[in-house]
Amino acid sequence: MRKNWKSYAIGTVVASSLVLAGCSSNSGASGGTAPAASSGNAVKANGFPIVDQPIKLKMFTRTAPVNGPFKDMPVFQDYEKMSNVQVEFTEAPTDGFQEKKNLLFASNELPDALYRSGLSQLEATRYGAAGQLIPLEDLIDQYAPNLKQLMEQYPEIRAGITTPEGHIYAIPGIVTLDAARTDKKWINQAWLKKLNLKMPETTDDLYNVLVAFRDQDPNGNGKKDELPMTARAPVAGQGLPILAMMSGSFGLDLQFGYNINLENDKVNIWMGNDRNKEMLMYLNKLYKEKLLDPEMFSQKEADYLAKQGSGNTGFFFDQTNNNFLTIQDQYTGIAPLKGPHGDQLQSQGAPVARDFGAFAITSVDKYPEVTMRWIDYFYSDEGSTLLRFGREGENYEVKDGIPYYTKAFIDSGNQSKLTPYAGGGAPHLISEKVASFINPPQVQEAQKKLDPYMPKVRYAAPMFDEATAQKVNILRNDLDKYYEEQSTKFIAGALSFDKWDEFQATLKKLKIDELQQIYQDAYDKMKK
Amino acid sequence: MESVQAKAAAAPVSRKRQGSGLLRRMAKRYDLYLMLLLPIAWYLIFNYGPLYGLQIAFKNFNPGKGITGSEWVGFEHFRRFFESYYFKRLLWNTLSINLFSLLIAFPVPILLALIVNELRSKSFGKWLQNITFIPHFMSVVVIVGILSVFLSPSTGPVNKLIEWLGGEPVRFMESAGWFKTIFISSNIWQNMGWQSIIYIAALSGVNPQLYEAAKMDGASRLRRIWHVSLPGIVPVIVILLILDIGHFMDVGFEKILLMQNNLNLETSDVISTFVYTTGILKGEYSYTAAIGLFNSLINLTLLLLVNRFARKTAETSLW
Amino acid sequence: MDKPTTVKSASDGRIFDMVVNSFAVLIILVVLYPLIFVVSASFSDPAKVLGGQVWLLPKGFTLAAYENILHNGKIWTGYRNTIFYAAAGTLINMIMTVLAAYPLSRPDLPGRKLLMVIITLTMFFNGGLIPTYMLVKNLHMVDTVWALLVPGAIATYNLIVMRTYFQASIPWELQEAAHMDGCSNWRLLWNIILPLSKPILAVMVLFYAVGHWNSFFNALIYIRRESLYPLQLVLREILMISQSDAVDASVGIEDKILLAESIKYAVIIVSSLPVLVMYPFVQRHFVKGVMIGSIKG
Repeated sequence: MRKNWKSYAIGTVVASSLVLAGCSSNSGASGGTAPAASSGNAVKANGFPIVDQPIKLKMFTRTAPVNGPFKDMPVFQDYEKMSNVQVEFTEAPTDGFQEKKNLLFASNELPDALYRSGLSQLEATRYGAAGQLIPLEDLIDQYAPNLKQLMEQYPEIRAGITTPEGHIYAIPGIVTLDAARTDKKWINQAWLKKLNLKMPETTDDLYNVLVAFRDQDPNGNGKKDELPMTARAPVAGQGLPILAMMSGSFGLDLQFGYNINLENDKVNIWMGNDRNKEMLMYLNKLYKEKLLDPEMFSQKEADYLAKQGSGNTGFFFDQTNNNFLTIQDQYTGIAPLKGPHGDQLQSQGAPVARDFGAFAITSVDKYPEVTMRWIDYFYSDEGSTLLRFGREGENYEVKDGIPYYTKAFIDSGNQSKLTPYAGGGAPHLISEKVASFINPPQVQEAQKKLDPYMPKVRYAAPMFDEATAQKVNILRNDLDKYYEEQSTKFIAGALSFDKWDEFQATLKKLKIDELQQIYQDAYDKMKK
Repeated sequence: MESVQAKAAAAPVSRKRQGSGLLRRMAKRYDLYLMLLLPIAWYLIFNYGPLYGLQIAFKNFNPGKGITGSEWVGFEHFRRFFESYYFKRLLWNTLSINLFSLLIAFPVPILLALIVNELRSKSFGKWLQNITFIPHFMSVVVIVGILSVFLSPSTGPVNKLIEWLGGEPVRFMESAGWFKTIFISSNIWQNMGWQSIIYIAALSGVNPQLYEAAKMDGASRLRRIWHVSLPGIVPVIVILLILDIGHFMDVGFEKILLMQNNLNLETSDVISTFVYTTGILKGEYSYTAAIGLFNSLINLTLLLLVNRFARKTAETSLW
Repeated sequence: MDKPTTVKSASDGRIFDMVVNSFAVLIILVVLYPLIFVVSASFSDPAKVLGGQVWLLPKGFTLAAYENILHNGKIWTGYRNTIFYAAAGTLINMIMTVLAAYPLSRPDLPGRKLLMVIITLTMFFNGGLIPTYMLVKNLHMVDTVWALLVPGAIATYNLIVMRTYFQASIPWELQEAAHMDGCSNWRLLWNIILPLSKPILAVMVLFYAVGHWNSFFNALIYIRRESLYPLQLVLREILMISQSDAVDASVGIEDKILLAESIKYAVIIVSSLPVLVMYPFVQRHFVKGVMIGSIKG
């Protein structure tokens, strides 16, 4: 085993120094020192500590506004003792993180690894091709048993992170818990009960229920001030949340993180389809009749959360029940609504490899194997528990084999300061074993309603080579913007459906067919 | 001494016949160059030093390969921008917002400064200055927050007033027609006090004897403003106007981005927000640099034109 | 508009005063109302602000926003740092700007036009973030206070305004006369030009100081040590909570997001009060007749 590893290590060193010599950058130091450093202090294939003599790694990371310093977090303090690997974090606040990350690569001041780095696919491909990030597929194979097992269990993970050349340059945050990847459909059951209404099952039912919410004063204050339905405001370039929520009722799926149906191995971008027109017309009807929140297209996140917590909203979408915990009994989750053609699908949802580019190893790292083993621990339930919950007794207690935060810890207000997952994007595994906080019974219930209607496989956005990625980027800039703007106008009635032909023609002009072909090619390659 | 001054204020700078050789003239004023030494060195190091970075507008910048190592692509990024489906709309919105700002927002601080200058009660004048100065310190997040509270269709005071007058509430923040009006007038509100400071300072530099002389001649106060106050600050006005026109293609993106939504995008989509969302956020340095360079060239052209015009008509110019 | 031609008619003055005064009152009202709103909102229950219930006076009075800001230990370090950056930075700015603006205001300086072109061009062309960062890095200024003081030593806009003032408000004949008396350029600048330019110097101090006070981008890029963070960076971090990812929810994040609503109003007050206090000091120099006084005296 050990011999095997040595030859491998030398192999990568040679390879990476070749790459380095090939580009004009001047980070020569990395190649020469590696073999000397690794020969004395060998990495262990399994068990802890990872190395016998302590070593030090430098990592660049993002801290969320809710986090405290990483060195104060129990997970890193304890894991350092356990692994003999001391990690020195360079912490960049979320504000300015992207700029700092870019400058690291541009000025070649690389750390050993990037933790919680939120690399985009294009970034990973670029820096990988430039030799600044090292390929990880062999390291995963040999030094990351937990990650490897997850990748075998969920083949779509590998598909979503491997470049067309077969390299993996970044490891994602993995979410096997379905409930952490979907937005539930929350309906005001207190209002339903008060007005003697059935749970809505179809889109027509929903319409009738919303009309009743609007007209029959379910909150009983004598005023017509109820808000029948709302949704998150769109963020430019990320689609309209309301469409993602409703598309499944109209037979529209969201594969590859885009407006794509996958039918018999054929990729179909459905933005110009008649089904989409039907959906927009349905939403337009809701909007016109003041059933859909008129502020939906411009409200802030805080507005949206406040509406959830007010109890004065009939129907909305969110992943958890955190925002209305105090009045949680008022709401319940429902299944996707059956559409006019009988479609019933929960098309909204993140892929298992939810947070792309969460962790990467650079060419200056003298201990890539150690680094891989170090991060792999967090892809086990045990490691993830340490990361998300901290120390047993002090921060959490175990009930029925599942960790729960202690009341004292929650009341201290320090939970988000002491856990690096808070704020999103940390490289680790989220399974049902570590989700007591984000997956309380009410959320589990709501997820169960969605479960029968989840797509069989949810493909993550495919990896393109650099040139194709660039092309997709250019095509989608104009196309997505056009689609989002026009859809909003259709819904809000600022654009008449008489213009649908024109809308379709413009999509063609913006090369929707070319984009579809690119996705088709990527899918074909993935299938092979 | 006093007569010299009065003459100076009225007459433009007169050039004396200067020494024969250029070198002799320069040597005679060596201490002026000595003063300039540090600032010019700073300009060369901190502004001209990094200028080689401009080349990324013509390259496919890859941080891994560095600026000089990335490959050339010629005018590819420029073409992409010009061929973008939204190019015309972006250009028109950017230009029209700036044109309206120049016509409407530029004169307001001058008027404010004149009002402050004309107020008989000096302490009232100081109050006026102090209060109008405050909004400058508000972040755009708060300004836009205030706008949406005030203009809210259901709860905002403005729509309450409209309803009280018998009108239908207006969805101001989601209306393409209202966007520019709201954007420009809130800019005026925020910045008039701040921008008037320069004019107030310039007005305090106007020779009081000129006012006395005008009074003697029986000029009304309006005439004194027209014939003494305004001419006294014309050089400052002209220079600020030139500098403003030199930024004709720039619109601060932060505020627009916060006000933007799909329903007002028709009029709120400008070059700077486009650069932000499609270039900066996605780490497309080359594309961003190309659009920036295009803007700069137009800005520079406008500045040269208006500078030449100003030199001829107002006898004030940048050089 | 009719231009009254009567010489010293009292009514002319009175009507004029009335018009001017009413304009002034109108402006004050228009500006003041939103300001009162900000103050009220900062003391109000964030849910009430979001619900549109606050429009003049605080509703659901609370000090939570201020407590949250002032209990953040970093705020005080930020204050201290920002005061230092503003003071030291403005000093450097003023020295550099005066040194450049005065020679460039002299009509008898050979090469003036060329230098002005060189300087003006920098308003349009810059190398971008990366080369500038590399330069600052190579000068070993990254993560030191110098990165916030030196790269922004001159604002070209201010330089041009100052030069224009020197040119327009200080009679060239006066300078020539001083030269005749054998006064060197340094002494001329120090003893005559600067005392005569108090209004513009005051404005420039204000502009630069406020610029330093509000700036955060250079700190964002160049500063890593939290002990060097300026106030604005600390405040931005507090405000960023409202943009937190709701996906990986941590305990109490919704409350924090809501609280950030009222925090943003309180942040304005906490961060701008010290600068607002500065203005009256600047104003003091906007006195008419400075020029006469200093020449005679």
